[in-house]
Amino acid sequence: MIRGVALMLLVLAAIAVPVGLALALFVAPVEAFQGEPYRILYIHVPSVVAAYLAFAVTFVASVAYLVTRRRRFDHLAGAAAEVGEVFLTLVLLTGPIWGKPVWGVWWTWDARLTTALILWFIFAGYLMLRAWSGPQGARAAAVVAIVGFLDIPLIHWSAILLRTLHPRPTVFRPEGPALPPAMLVILLVNIAAFLLACAAFVTLRLRQETARDALAQTVP
Amino acid sequence: MSYVVAAYALTVAVLALYALSIWRRQRALARRRDRL
Repeated sequence: MIRGVALMLLVLAAIAVPVGLALALFVAPVEAFQGEPYRILYIHVPSVVAAYLAFAVTFVASVAYLVTRRRRFDHLAGAAAEVGEVFLTLVLLTGPIWGKPVWGVWWTWDARLTTALILWFIFAGYLMLRAWSGPQGARAAAVVAIVGFLDIPLIHWSAILLRTLHPRPTVFRPEGPALPPAMLVILLVNIAAFLLACAAFVTLRLRQETARDALAQTVP
Repeated sequence: MSYVVAAYALTVAVLALYALSIWRRQRALARRRDRL
């Protein structure tokens, strides 16, 4: 039975995500250079933000687990990593669909795309390690998560420091967002909606992991 | 426009499939709990 904070987050996300997507598709103005394909921004960037935040939770929870050895931190790290991987998968699916009409190619091995793909493989390995090693592998999984998280600053700085096909950040940059207000507001609505979905999924998965652990301890 | 439709449809499908997988695990957990 889903209830409490998890249910509230799930209901809010179920309302906010369709509203955000409808605003992006039907209300947001068309971009002058790219035309319609730029609307993929409204799902691509929120997916990136949700994935990064979920992996940041995994990083913090993994450090906390290594320090305290409390199982709850391990559960939180696993739950957030799984959700982060789902959103990173969305990033890697929507990116090429956006790239094809704008760059002319689905994929190119430039620094940002490659480091993002490496992050996907690191956390796919992390999830496999957790699934196959059980509670005994919690310490090794925490180390993998901490090392894997260090790829995120590399992804962010790769488009700033290196010559890549991927554009530089247009929202999260020191001099402020480069988007006009009509686009920025709808992007922020979608970021909030995706973060709600991310929080709902993490809360639900955390409860499941905690319940599964409790069950495993009661069954001989 | 077809690229946009494909990207949005894929996003909704992935999120819905993941929500479904969580719901199925929730049901499996409840069944296990009931058996005890």
